Amino acid sequence: MNERYRNRIELLQGTLDLLILQTLLWGAQHGYGVSQAIRANSGDLLQVDAGSLYPALHRLEKQKWICADWKISENKQEVKVYRLTAAGRKQLMRERSRWEQISDAIGGVLNPGKKESAS
Amino acid sequence: MKLWWLWRKRERELEREIQHHLQMAATERSERGASRGEAQAAAKREFGNVDLVKEVTRDAWGWRWLRERVEDVRFGSRMLRKNPGFTAVAVLTLALGVGVNTTVFTAFDSLALKPLPVKDPASVVRLERWFSSGASGDIQYAFSYPEYLYYLDKNHGFSGLIAVSWPTQVLATPPAEPFADSGAARELLTLEGQLVSTNYFSVSGINTVIGRPFVEGAHQVPGANPVIVLSYPFWERQLNSDREVAGKILEINGTTFTIIGVAQHGFIGTGNPPQVPDFWAPLEMQSQLVPQSDWLREPSNRPLQILGRLASGTSLDQAQAEAGVLAQQFAEAHNELRDTIRLTLHRATYFGMTDELWFRAFAAGLMAVVGLVLLVASVNLANMLLARAAGRQKEMGTRLALGASRGRLVRQLLTESVLLAMLGGLAGLFFSLWATRLEWLGLTRLIHVLLGDGILVVPLAPDIRVFLYTFALSLITGILFGLWPALQSSRIPITDTLKSEGSTCGQPSSRSGLRSLLVGGQVAVSMVLLISAGLLLRALVRSETSNPGFETKTVFHLSLDLGSDPAKAAVAKQQVIARLQTLPEVADVALADRLPYAGTSSRPLLVEASHASAKGAPEQTLINYVSPSFFPALGIPVVRGRNFTPEEALKGLPVAMVSESTARHAWPGEDPIGKSLKLDLKFDHHWKGFEVVGVAKDVRFFNLSRVDPVYVYLPANAGQPNRLLFRAARSPQDTLAAVRTSLGTFDRALLPKLGFESLDSFMRTQEVLPQAAAVFIAILAVLAVALAAIGVYGVMAYVVTERTREVGIRLALGASSKDVLRLIVRQGMLPVTTGAACGLVVSSAISGVLRAVLTFPANPDLLFGVSAFDPAVYVALTGFLATVALVACALPARRAMRVDPVVALRCE
Repeated sequence: MNERYRNRIELLQGTLDLLILQTLLWGAQHGYGVSQAIRANSGDLLQVDAGSLYPALHRLEKQKWICADWKISENKQEVKVYRLTAAGRKQLMRERSRWEQISDAIGGVLNPGKKESAS
Repeated sequence: MKLWWLWRKRERELEREIQHHLQMAATERSERGASRGEAQAAAKREFGNVDLVKEVTRDAWGWRWLRERVEDVRFGSRMLRKNPGFTAVAVLTLALGVGVNTTVFTAFDSLALKPLPVKDPASVVRLERWFSSGASGDIQYAFSYPEYLYYLDKNHGFSGLIAVSWPTQVLATPPAEPFADSGAARELLTLEGQLVSTNYFSVSGINTVIGRPFVEGAHQVPGANPVIVLSYPFWERQLNSDREVAGKILEINGTTFTIIGVAQHGFIGTGNPPQVPDFWAPLEMQSQLVPQSDWLREPSNRPLQILGRLASGTSLDQAQAEAGVLAQQFAEAHNELRDTIRLTLHRATYFGMTDELWFRAFAAGLMAVVGLVLLVASVNLANMLLARAAGRQKEMGTRLALGASRGRLVRQLLTESVLLAMLGGLAGLFFSLWATRLEWLGLTRLIHVLLGDGILVVPLAPDIRVFLYTFALSLITGILFGLWPALQSSRIPITDTLKSEGSTCGQPSSRSGLRSLLVGGQVAVSMVLLISAGLLLRALVRSETSNPGFETKTVFHLSLDLGSDPAKAAVAKQQVIARLQTLPEVADVALADRLPYAGTSSRPLLVEASHASAKGAPEQTLINYVSPSFFPALGIPVVRGRNFTPEEALKGLPVAMVSESTARHAWPGEDPIGKSLKLDLKFDHHWKGFEVVGVAKDVRFFNLSRVDPVYVYLPANAGQPNRLLFRAARSPQDTLAAVRTSLGTFDRALLPKLGFESLDSFMRTQEVLPQAAAVFIAILAVLAVALAAIGVYGVMAYVVTERTREVGIRLALGASSKDVLRLIVRQGMLPVTTGAACGLVVSSAISGVLRAVLTFPANPDLLFGVSAFDPAVYVALTGFLATVALVACALPARRAMRVDPVVALRCE
């Protein structure tokens, strides 16, 4: 338990939205599924707590980047399932390219030599 | 409502979503081998605080503000329910304050704001003329028929323009059949009719219940359209709602008119004055209905009001600019009529005067006075909130400690006070519904005496404006008087409040200083209202016995319509006087320019005196042109010198008579006979000299409330435009019948407009205003005193609770219960005495203003000669207020006396 918490990475401001949108790109998913997918795909490093996940989901829903449907699950329960909208897809592209820029920029700062040779 | 439902749905969905999350997490864990209980606990632990997650998720909805308000309202109403006593007193107090204001506003609304009962009243305007002489009043709404036609032809800004006369009296001979109740009673009926342009009904959008309105066509042949439309009330009252009335005949002033229709129910005319006529007739029939004059051709004769309906797309300003240009053009075409400087357009309401400054000022003054009562009530609210805030210090401290922001606390407290104010406003609305009925009775009497019996008082039904007004008033009260206590009670050091019960010993908190200030203010306002009411009530008693100093019961004013040609009118008047003088029932016939208690006219006077009036500055004076018979007719004795001679009257020689007080004032200790005075009769600094020939006894001719201070009589004859008065030698009934018969044989055309009014009826107008003022202020004063007493009692009750422990210690240390009583009462009475003193200062300031106003001779004395500093009123009412406050103080103080020291100290 302690080990896990120590390895957890605080998510950068705004990156949670990107992760959620990316997760939903592979298919519709409910809240718990989104959090599990993020955790699994990050090798247990990224842990999204409910207090961040649900406000983010509801905010994205309000911005019409994702939309929610109520479906019946295998054990006959009503489940709120989120899926990506067309606008959400565009937003995901924008956020991805922004993320790549940031990532490149940080990479350049950390490895100055590489940047020189590239230019 | 829909919003609330949506919100509930979202709440339910969020709950289900989170439950599902927890369930999934638990299932997964138990699949990995954990026991069911363990799995659920771990899932919950991982999820964290469910309520907190919900809270932050709700924030994402963006409804947080609304949600907090709803929570505040819920919490607030719970708090109010928890303290029913507090709530009841607060709501009742505010109900009285708001109720009085709403009641007065309802009257203002009905008199000044309610639109006319026409179609789409918002686009209907009334034309008003502004004279270069500055003359004001009803004449500002008066226009001539040629003027109307000119505007009608040339304007573009109106979709319709109508002309309507003031109500005019006619004599009608009813046909036998519809008035079937008795064949014998076919005597003449006096009816009130209005002459209107033929588009009157179509432009105002009024239909007929029976028959049809007039056929439009502005330039029809005079005298060729003998039709009338009846008003609904007349049809209902006089014709028993006869459905077959259309086509029947009514003989009016000797001409046969056909009834063509009955106007729709609820159409009570177009106002100014709001009087329902018995019928409407086309203007082409003017010479039949008003035989003495020619309206249709004379541009100097202005018997009509003009109302217009703005064309769609035309703004009021555009229409007004256009009307101004048209008025200029018309004046230039008629050289003798260049008296108009401009035209303005006003939203048409029932009364014309409500746009005028004096009415606005009067209404504002009235609202200010009733506002004082609301102020007293609101101060009670603030005081009670402050006292309660002290009791809730611990709650506030706890909430602050738990992380509530101060802003949130203030909002919460404000919500409570606004809730209270809204409840109070609602109760006040119900209270005003009842009070409005009383007000309607009072107002009806007032208006009938002042403006005439025919004037309709619009029912004082509250409408949307009244509701909005009450709502806004309550809201403002709640915020204004809740804000201070809210700010005060949320500003507290957290640790102190949590550690102990708060300061209960030693110095009173700073808040009690604020409360004392508020109580002082209440007492001051009550004091002012009480003194005003006391003075006015004493004045009312005086006015009952006020003697005008001349004969009123047997002297009558004879109103006649002698036509618009002054030369003919003068001859006719001479003949009427000659006829009246032959009648044995008439003792004296007199002429006067001014009737008692009617009209204002005061002119600058310069007394030529070597030493008496050293100032030499002109003074204001009251002037009346009278015939020599005026003095015997009204029974005013000539105390020195002589009356005017008939020759002086006929030639208008420069002689004058003055009243006793004028003589005393201008020539103290000297014989006024033979002295001369100068008058600026036309306000143009052209001074005309007069020789004083006689002194008449002082009377109250201008205002019943005071002896006319400066009064000068000048000689008059029948050639001038003046009024006819006569004194009855027999019983009034016989005399009036004899005069009517005599004048009827002289000229039948005089009969429709013939009117008699005894001077007594003029006096009534002078009596009704002080009555109304006294009753009104007295009601407000009683309310204010009652509210202030509640205020004093409330604060004292709280102070006693606050100081219980201190009193216990004092008693334990050997103070007697009397000492304690004295201590508490002294604390309570301090703000009362300060407030009363302030109130007295303000009252005497107002009294001083009232007295200063009297230097103008035409102004009435509101107090009927009671001194504005009447010691009896001041002493008695100060004593009364002090007693009330003392009782309000002593009741809680007695409780302090009975404090058991042992019990009080054990609390520590």
